[in-house]
Amino acid sequence: MIRKPIPQSWRVGLGVASFLLLIGAYSYLSHRQLEENPDDRSIPSWSRLWSDGVVRVFTPNEHTGEVWIWQDFQATFRERLLAGMLVGVGVSLLVGLLMGCYDPLEAFFLPPLAFLAKIPPVAMLAVFFVLVGSGFEMYVTMIAFGIVPVLAQSIYHAAKDDVPDELLHKAYTLGASQMESIYNVIYKQTLPRIIDGVRLQVGPAMVYLIAAEWIAADVGFGYHLRLQSRLLDMSVVYVYLIVLGAVGFFLDFVLTRLRLWLCPWYGH
Amino acid sequence: MKLGIVKFAACTFALALGGCTADTSKEALPVFSLAWSEYPSWSVFGVAHEKNLIDGAAGKLGPVEEKWGVDIELKELDYDTCLTMYGSSTCDAVCITNIDALNPALGRKSVAILPTSTSVGADACIVAGIENVEQLRNHKVYGLSKSVSEYCFVRNLEKLGEKESDHQFTNRDPGAAAQALQTKTDDVQAIMVWNPFVLQTLRTRKDTKVLFDSSTIPGEIIDMVVVAQQSLEKPGGEAFAKAIIDTFYQLNALLADPATGEATLVALGAKFSHLGAEDMRQVVQQTRFYKNPDEALALLKGTGLKQIMKLVLDFCTSHQIVPSAPTIGYGSGADAQLRFDPTWIEAVKNKS
Repeated sequence: MIRKPIPQSWRVGLGVASFLLLIGAYSYLSHRQLEENPDDRSIPSWSRLWSDGVVRVFTPNEHTGEVWIWQDFQATFRERLLAGMLVGVGVSLLVGLLMGCYDPLEAFFLPPLAFLAKIPPVAMLAVFFVLVGSGFEMYVTMIAFGIVPVLAQSIYHAAKDDVPDELLHKAYTLGASQMESIYNVIYKQTLPRIIDGVRLQVGPAMVYLIAAEWIAADVGFGYHLRLQSRLLDMSVVYVYLIVLGAVGFFLDFVLTRLRLWLCPWYGH
Repeated sequence: MKLGIVKFAACTFALALGGCTADTSKEALPVFSLAWSEYPSWSVFGVAHEKNLIDGAAGKLGPVEEKWGVDIELKELDYDTCLTMYGSSTCDAVCITNIDALNPALGRKSVAILPTSTSVGADACIVAGIENVEQLRNHKVYGLSKSVSEYCFVRNLEKLGEKESDHQFTNRDPGAAAQALQTKTDDVQAIMVWNPFVLQTLRTRKDTKVLFDSSTIPGEIIDMVVVAQQSLEKPGGEAFAKAIIDTFYQLNALLADPATGEATLVALGAKFSHLGAEDMRQVVQQTRFYKNPDEALALLKGTGLKQIMKLVLDFCTSHQIVPSAPTIGYGSGADAQLRFDPTWIEAVKNKS
C-alpha cells in the first residue's frame, strides 16, 4: 500500500541489503572479467583494489613523502570547493534576499539569472579559460557562476513567498527598521530554506569543479581521475570515486545537522 | 488505454521482425570495432567511411569490407576514451601511439598491425619571450603529463644535455595550455603540445616560436593501430586486420593521386581543427605517414624499432607511466604482451 510504514529493523535491513547487492554485483563483474582475462585491470578484484588502489593512494611517496589523496583533497575540497562555495553562497544570499525584498532589484536581476541558470557551466569552460585564465580564480568563478543563478533564485523565492506580510507588519509595528526586518524576520525565517538550497548545490558544484580540474589542473581529484583512467589504473579510480562519494555524503550530513541545530523550529 | 499499449507492442514487434528478416537476407559477417580519435593518420578511417571505402556502421558494408569478408565498426571517441575503452576490452582495435600502447598491453595481449605515421615536428615546445633552453628552466612548461608530450620534452632535454630535474613540466590539457598561451593568460609562457595546437598557436600569436620539437627524434613517436590478440584469434579477426590495412593504403593512394589528393587532404583536415589544404600539407609533413606497405615493413622489420621501444620502455618505467614493463616482441612468432607483427601488411601487399 502507498505510504504504509515498515518497522525500523526492516528499514535498516533493506538499506544494508541494497549495499550488499552493489558489492555483490561488483564482485560478480570483476570475477567474470578476470575469468576471461586474468590480466585485466579494468574491474580489479577486491584484493587488487586494496593493494593497487587503497594502499597506493594512502601511502606516502618514497621520494617526497607526499600522500596523493591528501594533496588532492586539500586542493579540491579545502581550497577550490570551499572558496567557490563561499563566494557563490555569499553572492546568492545578498542578491536573493534583496530581490525578495525590493521589486526593482527583482525586476533587474531575475531575467538574467533565469536565463543564465539554463546554460550548463561545463559547456562554458572555454569561456572561463579566456576570461579568468586557468588558475585558482577559474575554479572559484566556475563554481560560483554555476551555483549563483539557481541558489539566488531559490533564496529569492523563499524570501518573497515564505515570509507572510503579517510578520513584516508586526515587526514594523514594533518599530523595526528595514535592515532589522530583513535580518530578524526575512533572513531568519528563510534560513532553513537557504541551508537546504546550499546543500542541494554541493553536488552541482562538485560536478563543475571536477570538470574544470579534468582539463586544467596538476593536482586535485579531477586531474587524478583523468590521469589514472588514461593509464588504466582503475583500482585508483574506484578508490577516488568512493572517497568523492563519502565526502559528498559527509557534507550533506553536516549541512542537515547545521539546519537542525540553527532552526530547530523548522522540523525535519 | 490498454488497447493503445497492445497496438504499440504489436507495431514494435512487427518492426523488429521486419528488421530481422532484412538482416538475415544478407549473410551476417563478423563485426569488429576500431576506436579512433581525430589525428591526421587516424582520421583516414573516418574519411574512408565518408568516401565509401568502408561503412563504419555495424551491419553495413563498403567495398573493402566485402572484399575481406568482415564488418568494420568505427567508433570515434576522444583519445583518452579510446585508451580506456581498449583497455577495458570494449573494442577490438584502437588507434594509439607506441608510448600509450604499453599500459593496455599489460592487461590485454596486443598486436601492433599497422604503423600509420610518426611525429616529425607535430609535437613541439612553443615559447613566448624565451630565447633558449637555459631560460626555459625558470618557466613552467604546460602539457599533458605522462603522455607523448612529456616523452618528447624529456628526450629533447636529453639531446640538449639538460637535466630533467632543472625543468618543470606541469600538467595541463593541451587544448587549454594552447589557449592560455594564445590569450596571454596566467603567465603561461611555454607549452608542450601536439598538432593542431602547434600550428594554431604559432599562427594566432606571432611572438611565439618553437624551441624544440619532435623532428629531433623522428621515428620514436609512432602512431599505429593495435588489435587485441584475442580478437585476431576470433573467426574473421585476421580478415579484420587486413581490411584495416587495406583501407589505410587505399586512402593513401587517393592522397597520392593528383586527381583526388587535394580533396582527400581537405577531408582529412576538415575535422582536424578545420585546417585548409595548405595547412594540412604542413601537418602531414610533421606527421609523416607510412604511406605504403614498404615504408611500414622497413620500420617493422628494421633494427631501429627495437632500440626505440627500449627507449620508450625505459622512459615509461622511470616515469611511473607503467606499473611494470610489458614484454615486447617482434614478428609473428613472438610471444609477448605487445607484439609488432608485419604479417598482415605483407598479406595485403601480396594480394593487391
